[in-house]
Amino acid sequence: MPAQPFNLGELKFPKKGDAVAYLNVMLHKYDVGDKVNSEDSKILVAALGRHPEGEEKIGCGVESFSVRTADFGTKCFWINRTDGSTEKFAHRACVYGKVRPA
Amino acid sequence: MSLDDLTSWLLKEGINVEVDALTRRTVRTELDNLVEDPEGDAAPIDWSRLLFAGSILARSKERAHQEAALRIATGAVTLGNSQPVNDAGAVLLGKLSNFRAVALANDRNLLEYDLEGRLGLALRMEVQRRQIEQSVLVESSGRWIQVNDFQQRFWENANSHSWLSASAPTASGKTFLVLQWLIDHMRSESTKVAVYLAPTRALVSEIESNLAALLGKAGDMEVSSLPLREKYGAATAGGKKLILVFTQERLHLLANVLGKDVNVDLLIVDEAHKIGDNQRGVILQDAIERVERANSALKVVFISPATQNPEELLADAPVDAKVAAVDSDSPTVIQNLIIAQQAPRKPQLWDLSLRHGEALLPIGRLSLASTPGGVSKKIAFIAAAVGERGGTLVYANKAGQAEEIAALISQLIPPMGGQDEELSELADLARKGVHPNFALASLVEKGVAFHYGNMPSLIRLEVERLFRSGKIRFLVCTSTLIEGVNLSCRTIVVRGPRKGVGHPMEPHDFWNLAGRAGRWGDEFQGNIICIDPDDANAWPTGVPVRSRYPIQRESDAVLESRDGIIGYLGQRLDTPLVEIADTGKYEQVGAYLLATYLRLGSISHASFAKRHSPQTIAELDGRLGAIAGQIEIGPDIAERHPGVSALGLQQLLDALRAYEKDIENLMPAKVESQDSYDRFVTIMRRINENLFPAFQPDGIIPLHALIVVQWLQGYSLAAMIRKNIDYHKKYNKPYKLPQLIRDTMELVEQIARFRAPKYLSAYMDILYLHLREIGREDLIEDDLDIGTQLEFGVSSVTLLSLMELGLSRMTAVTLYEKIARDDLTKESCRAWVAERNAQFEGMDIPAIIVREIREKLLPLAEGDEASSPSQ
Repeated sequence: MPAQPFNLGELKFPKKGDAVAYLNVMLHKYDVGDKVNSEDSKILVAALGRHPEGEEKIGCGVESFSVRTADFGTKCFWINRTDGSTEKFAHRACVYGKVRPA
Repeated sequence: MSLDDLTSWLLKEGINVEVDALTRRTVRTELDNLVEDPEGDAAPIDWSRLLFAGSILARSKERAHQEAALRIATGAVTLGNSQPVNDAGAVLLGKLSNFRAVALANDRNLLEYDLEGRLGLALRMEVQRRQIEQSVLVESSGRWIQVNDFQQRFWENANSHSWLSASAPTASGKTFLVLQWLIDHMRSESTKVAVYLAPTRALVSEIESNLAALLGKAGDMEVSSLPLREKYGAATAGGKKLILVFTQERLHLLANVLGKDVNVDLLIVDEAHKIGDNQRGVILQDAIERVERANSALKVVFISPATQNPEELLADAPVDAKVAAVDSDSPTVIQNLIIAQQAPRKPQLWDLSLRHGEALLPIGRLSLASTPGGVSKKIAFIAAAVGERGGTLVYANKAGQAEEIAALISQLIPPMGGQDEELSELADLARKGVHPNFALASLVEKGVAFHYGNMPSLIRLEVERLFRSGKIRFLVCTSTLIEGVNLSCRTIVVRGPRKGVGHPMEPHDFWNLAGRAGRWGDEFQGNIICIDPDDANAWPTGVPVRSRYPIQRESDAVLESRDGIIGYLGQRLDTPLVEIADTGKYEQVGAYLLATYLRLGSISHASFAKRHSPQTIAELDGRLGAIAGQIEIGPDIAERHPGVSALGLQQLLDALRAYEKDIENLMPAKVESQDSYDRFVTIMRRINENLFPAFQPDGIIPLHALIVVQWLQGYSLAAMIRKNIDYHKKYNKPYKLPQLIRDTMELVEQIARFRAPKYLSAYMDILYLHLREIGREDLIEDDLDIGTQLEFGVSSVTLLSLMELGLSRMTAVTLYEKIARDDLTKESCRAWVAERNAQFEGMDIPAIIVREIREKLLPLAEGDEASSPSQ
């Protein structure tokens, strides 16, 4: 099966793997504790739109994104909601549509 | 025959046999569970001959002669079976200016009433003359206090000199007298602010509470251990005078807060020989010099235990300062060094002999309840047997071993009759303040305890208090005690003592420990029991011969290494720190030299230069000049962070300047915020990479960051331990509770309260410098300095107010759990407590905590007066 192109907002990727790689690079550009800048945040908003649990994750609304510690010493993106609550999400799920890798 | 010849002859030949017999008898009375020796104990003593010899020996200045005189006097008072012999013993004690021993003999009813009335006219006049001569006037109260020779010389010289260095063995009544003098000096002179420096937080809390007790609740001056501006400002503006009790690090924190305003009138440096300690000695030296730079008229008093050269500390006094060294080597209590060796083929029997001079004097045979297998059992069984009557201190090499030995002793000693309320209260505090299964709790109920440096101060101080009062009969401790806790005992039991991790104790450290045997005024004798003296593993160089500390500044020792420090500075510029050997030895002094160079333009202008060869100084100047060429930050910022290299500070600044992302990411987040933990993780990494590898290995950073956040959030130690246990359970990690408790305490003390504040406050200073450079002053917050927040484990106004009122952190945190608001001032905290005073008993707060709350926060009750602290 030929690779299917994948879009995140205005960004277009020839295949899903490229989108994941792009988000990986973005993630690792940040240190844990950093706020995500506004340009990258736009892409993350688009990515969240494609997350299978996107609506619940967004909840009352996104105030900003951070990079913080995930389990087992790794790091991931976190949504900071407008009500002060926070939740992490897996950027792979935004691309592959699965909450956990199969 | 001169007096010297006579006294020497007396000891060697004249009365040596009698003194040996007397010694054997007096020492035997000190030790429990000896196999009986009816014949030896009944041999008659020729008291008049011995007392006559004793009165001659008392006139000699030599320690051995004075010791013999003291032994004769003590023997006559305690063993003499007639009133004239007891009286003569008391007069001899008086000749030795040992007034506390006379008072003790009276307390124990060893002397009949009205000794003076029984003396002949000439002797009575002599006694009275001596009493007048051997006392000092407390000017502020007009009261006379009786002192010994050392104390008298201290008092006179401290009043008449601006730099004084005093040295005397442990149990000479140094601390008691210095505190008396300090208060008197504050009251009668124009001194507004005094700083009392002590090397450990343990000693800081002890001195602070002793001062508070001496001053009483209605104190006419403030005592504080918090490096904050408020009380200092009030004192310098003519308000209540202020005594600050600090470690050297806290003095730097205060100086950082005050900047150019810092002006201390009087500085007392306790345990001043620790200016030679690796890594922290130079921080102490730097603190003294920093305060002196700010006030050239500073008055300084150094105090050290038996040192060889107290005058060394005066070498850097200003040229016009009047200096004096006061030195004493006189014994105040008899100290028996006893060695314990297993009787051949009989592991339950141990032969005890007293070492005096080169010789060994057999004392008797100790009988143990069981056969000891292993080192801990050996120490525990011997201690439990020989020191059964209590006041027994046991030295353990590690905190874990201290717990183990204490548990063994608790099984061997006779049970106490019934429950003691104070011991039960301490057990309750240990259960609620640390963990329900913290071993200390069930041990103290049996009158046994352990003690180490990382314990919360409220618990440690209560352990010490109950040991002094006799309710805790056995105390097993680690090297915290030689790091300067003023705790004396009747008997010390020790086998192969180490200091820190694995290093055999130096003779002067051993004798600083051994010197704690014998509570002057509470006991006539102290005993040091050394187990297995011939075991080369335990005692690689044998049981040390009595010796005194040589004082040498850490900086001077490093400079004397010459090639070592020159080579280090040469490498430091372009070699990553992790690749340089001996960072531990050279980094702190290197930082000090560099800061000095930045301030003066050449270290040849510094006071220490005169102690080293001009070539060494010139070569160092060359190396320092090369480094300074790379440094833009000024001397002021380097001065604020002693022990942190200006080169590291510059490298951190360079890294911040090169940071391309959002500048706000460099800021720590408020501890309540969700980003806080992660921000600390990244900041600690940044510190490791650019400033100094302080949080190593890298994998430990998340744990260190977590501890820092919990500590700043005001978590209690008990809560931190609970969280740690939950974490282990969640991830199925095995753990041992006692170890986990000790590890958590260590992380709090060593990371959250020591390393993190040192490096995080340097980070913040450099970050703020950078923010000003790029015009982002808007990000700079005028909060409490992160170093101070960490040292005290507070981030809310209420918690800080509670600690400013003098509460220990454990009490402050417990109380804060009940207080809803986080913004209470000191007055509001007082009001909150006053309103609820009647309800504390129903709040499930440990009684010791309630007591501290009431002592520190409630207004003065009628009839409350100053009490005597422990001496």
